[in-house]
Amino acid sequence: MSASLAPAVDLAQAPEAWLAAHPELSSRLVFRHAAARFAQDDTRVVFLEADLGGGGDPFEKRHPQRYFNLGICEATMLDMACGLAHGGHTVIAHSFAAFGVMRACEQVRLNLAYARANVKLVCDYGGVAGAFFGPTHHAIEDLAVLRAMPNLTVVSPADGLETVQATQAMLAHEGPVYLRLGRNRVTRLDIQRPPFELGRAALLREGDDVGLLAHGEVGVAVALDAAKLLEAQGVSARVLNVHTLKPLDEEAVRETSSRTRLLVTVEEHNVLGGLGSAVCETVCSLDLGRRVLRVGIQDRYDPRAGSHEALLKGHGLEGGQVAERILGVLPRTPVFAVGSEPRRD
Amino acid sequence: MPARTGDGPSGAASDAGLALLPRRAKRIRQTIVRLAATPSGCHLGGSLSMVEILVALLGRVMRVDPRAPKMPERDHLILSKGHAAAGLYAALAEFGFVDVETLVRDYNADGSIFTGHVNAAVPGVEFATGSLGHGLGLGVGLTLAHALRGEPNRTFVICGDGEMGEGSNWEALQVASHRKLTGLTLIIDRNGGQNDGPTESILSQEALVQRLDAFGFQSLEVDGHDLPALCAALEAPVVGGRPRAVVARTQKGAGVPMLKGKGPHYAVFSAEHLRRALASLGEDGQ
Repeated sequence: MSASLAPAVDLAQAPEAWLAAHPELSSRLVFRHAAARFAQDDTRVVFLEADLGGGGDPFEKRHPQRYFNLGICEATMLDMACGLAHGGHTVIAHSFAAFGVMRACEQVRLNLAYARANVKLVCDYGGVAGAFFGPTHHAIEDLAVLRAMPNLTVVSPADGLETVQATQAMLAHEGPVYLRLGRNRVTRLDIQRPPFELGRAALLREGDDVGLLAHGEVGVAVALDAAKLLEAQGVSARVLNVHTLKPLDEEAVRETSSRTRLLVTVEEHNVLGGLGSAVCETVCSLDLGRRVLRVGIQDRYDPRAGSHEALLKGHGLEGGQVAERILGVLPRTPVFAVGSEPRRD
Repeated sequence: MPARTGDGPSGAASDAGLALLPRRAKRIRQTIVRLAATPSGCHLGGSLSMVEILVALLGRVMRVDPRAPKMPERDHLILSKGHAAAGLYAALAEFGFVDVETLVRDYNADGSIFTGHVNAAVPGVEFATGSLGHGLGLGVGLTLAHALRGEPNRTFVICGDGEMGEGSNWEALQVASHRKLTGLTLIIDRNGGQNDGPTESILSQEALVQRLDAFGFQSLEVDGHDLPALCAALEAPVVGGRPRAVVARTQKGAGVPMLKGKGPHYAVFSAEHLRRALASLGEDGQ
């Protein structure tokens, strides 16, 4: 990174160049810079923190009058967020996913979702990104909990660029949004993608054997890795980035289902309640008649220490592992009908 | 019983004469007991206990306009003990925010906005409450919003004493005093009862004033049925950049003699109960 270049590049005008100038920033830090930048254009934006800002927050630095570190009180932070929104502000409230979503769950339900408050709950440490901190700091149920709440928009960006775009979009959106981030990765997807739009899944790769639907930094990266490995095996994979889990882009699910013969969801979340469940619900409700393979946390807590990568591998969230699982299922389709009963889809 | 309508712009606030307020309290109690006589009944004890608090606020202390309940210059009222919706609705009817006959007809009826816990769709109500322990945090946020813009709007939050068992209240107290939110007033309806019985036998709330004071509030205790005392407490100047807290000692079921000493938490009145209650309150509201 060129330190002298950084001030010349505007995050809002040229996000890709800004990200290239800051290659070391994880998405959770990219979000903080993006929030600080977009708040410059909208003085209604305030930022609430519950002692997990880590110090040196760029929002605090740029807008000290609009940054409130409230101390360790997630419940009051979210009640206050609703009060501030009622008073005309666009409110960003940050915590770890385990605390912002689940400790303060009823505050989210009553005073964000039900009240349709203009509050953006932004949580990092999604999935098992908290890794060696243990299950107290993992969030494998947050999407299941929040997807069940009416009025909430739920977004899980795949990399730095999408984090910038999602931050801008959620601030422009009137109403409650949950933005889920990870912790460790510095993901910069070097891939063509359509313009970001809340509620519209992004096609990252075309293919016609398998439809991979993923969200988040881990999910999308693993899906793309798996697609490459499958390609080497002669299996063509369509990859869809479902960054908005709610409202779910049902048309994208329908189209992927119609163009492929197996749907696979990939996410750093319990297989119960997240994207895997959402896609299954859609397949059933639209009567698409497709099998759905759900890759994710297999409904268990992970009480042992380890790196993020080690934990992901333990849950089968690695490109090679996913490709293998898919190959294990695909032989039942006509393309791979070798020594087994062909599946008539 | 005649429908009560607003007294005009800032009608409630212009009704500065303390002498009229007891009559308003009596009429609010008449409406509450009428709501207790609807098929679903109401949270009676805690609705009756806070009548004078609501009268002091809506009738004198607060800047509100029933004809423009969302006017930007208004003060805010948050009933955190939202189970006492009947009491708040009845007070809003008395001060002209809603029509009293519509309220009595529709209360808890199919499709009505008058739900058993406070509904933000009712004019004069800012937030849906009644899941306890949220109102103070909401009020802290709302007060902060006005403070950020240098606006004089004030926020009044009514909590129950049993409700102070919720830890979120103590979080919010800390934030309010740390942020020196002088526009915030917490009023605790200290009626000594909660759903399952006397507060003191379930979770003691003794020394509330000292506790609130220690948390950085300007706190005092008053007789919560003494309108002049309540008004004085709510209008006294705030000093030292502290938010205000008023612990109002009240009686569950207050003002209805047949309930004296046994004010129920929830009640469904029979026609005979209603007749006796209204007779004791004076049907003409005098």
